[in-house]
Amino acid sequence: MPFLASLLTRRGAATLNWLRGWNGLTRFGAGAVVEALTPSFYNSATRSVVQKQIYFTAWQILPGYGLFAALLSFVIIQIVVSKARDFGLSDYALEMTMRVLVLELLPLITALFVALRSGAAINTEVALMNINNEIKALREAGVDPMRFEFVPRVIGGMISVVSLISFSSIVALVLAYLVVYGWQLSGFADFTRVIAKVFVPLAMFGLILKALAFGLAVTVIPISAGLNAPQKLFFAPISVLQGMVRLFFVLMIIEVASLALQYI
Amino acid sequence: MERAPVRAPLIKNLEFKVGLLLTLTLLVIVLFILYTLYARGAFERARELILVAPNAEGVSVGMPLSFSGFPIGQVARMALTENGEVRIVVEVKEKDARWLRTSSVFTLEKGFIGGAKIRAFTTNLKDPQLPDRAERKLLTGDATEEIPVLIAKVKAILENVQGMTAPDSSINQSLDHVRTVTERMTGEYGVMEGVLGGPDKAQRLVTALDRANSLLTTLNGVSLKVDSVLAKTDQRVFGTDGTLARVDQSIAGVNAILGDVRDSLKKADAILANAQQATANVTAITADVKGATADLATLRTEVDDSIRKVNHLINEINKKWPFARDVEIKLP
Repeated sequence: MPFLASLLTRRGAATLNWLRGWNGLTRFGAGAVVEALTPSFYNSATRSVVQKQIYFTAWQILPGYGLFAALLSFVIIQIVVSKARDFGLSDYALEMTMRVLVLELLPLITALFVALRSGAAINTEVALMNINNEIKALREAGVDPMRFEFVPRVIGGMISVVSLISFSSIVALVLAYLVVYGWQLSGFADFTRVIAKVFVPLAMFGLILKALAFGLAVTVIPISAGLNAPQKLFFAPISVLQGMVRLFFVLMIIEVASLALQYI
Repeated sequence: MERAPVRAPLIKNLEFKVGLLLTLTLLVIVLFILYTLYARGAFERARELILVAPNAEGVSVGMPLSFSGFPIGQVARMALTENGEVRIVVEVKEKDARWLRTSSVFTLEKGFIGGAKIRAFTTNLKDPQLPDRAERKLLTGDATEEIPVLIAKVKAILENVQGMTAPDSSINQSLDHVRTVTERMTGEYGVMEGVLGGPDKAQRLVTALDRANSLLTTLNGVSLKVDSVLAKTDQRVFGTDGTLARVDQSIAGVNAILGDVRDSLKKADAILANAQQATANVTAITADVKGATADLATLRTEVDDSIRKVNHLINEINKKWPFARDVEIKLP
């Protein structure tokens, strides 16, 4: 039975490793949140890192992402509105587009986009810093890497994700109005009524919470994955892979949880 | 000593750009939250209208109350009452409250597809406005509710139709009978054969009709003869030499005879008076018995004679009076 024993050993080791990864992730995330909520954390140096993170994660991609979001929203709104009209349900078209796009689809797509672009980059950078002992060096130089490297990125990432979600949602709402009512103000009262129906306090609260959770996940998981990677160069790609899979998994969990909270 | 971990990459106006982005994001979020608050009527006074319905199926919080197709309010909350009814609290904005009057009617309509709709109908806009927290009944008109009843009815009808079209159904039997009748009708005697049930019976009817025809012809002759008889009778009875004239004469004769009879009776009276006298005077009577009896014999003959004459006269009248006889018209 040496085969079975070795299989069990390997599985056990993998599971322990997996659990260790989640444990490190949770501890890192909690630490980052605590740091971010401490007022003394903010000084010119950390602010600079936060600004750069926001610049790279949000500002740089804003035009391209805005265009993409507008295109996607327009297509989906058109489909929903025309199909709803076919079925004689045009009263519900606007509500449907708002729920599908603004509450669910755009936040998720934004989070995935930022995860692919910035999350992967952060993961790689942190993994390389770890492998090259830069983190150790920083710590030895009296610079807390958590404070000056990671937490500013987490904060920047969260702000970026919230910002991107806000802009894309506003674009989607404006497009929805234009598609349904055209270039006129007469539909405003009706539009306002649907807004009141869709964006109830619970939905607003859920949306903001979801955006923050996405922002947190998109930065915390890659950093944690990079930090947990063994200090060998060939582990860098594996670290990025694991981090990305974990990130995707967490994003989906957040989405499903928010859906369940609101509709079940 | 702290140092910036990221080695100063040159980004133009980094702070301005990030500041702009942050400001815009905050602005968008705050404005949107304010807009949703406005949409929910947070900045506007609203009146509450309480609708009581037996069943709130399809009603949800946030559902619009529409008037003439325009949403003027929305369901704020719902609750069950002690007696199992539903209290639906609808918030109506102050500026839209003028559409609701005391005479307004509220209905809950459910279609086949889509959600329910609460509608307000106001016919008279001059009635006083509906006060705050007014309670009204919500009338439900549900098209789908009647479907089971309709199906049950249709089922019964279909069963009836099935019973009608079954091979042993009364309709089929009736149709069979109709076919028999119409088949007979195509026979020699047509409809008569159909109605009477066979050619022999129809034949009999035809014969009977023929006989009735000949009978009628005979009767015609008879009535002609009766006519002539009546004319003759008329002549004989009412003509100048007719029966009546003779009757008149006879009556005159009878009168004369009656006069004779009266005379005779007077005489009889006198005789009876004599007889009285005779009984009063027994001796005289005994003396005159012979004469009296002779007188009585004469009287009797006279009375007999008178009666015979009357009898004869009556016979005479009887003979001349045509209707007294038993007139019998013997039909051939």
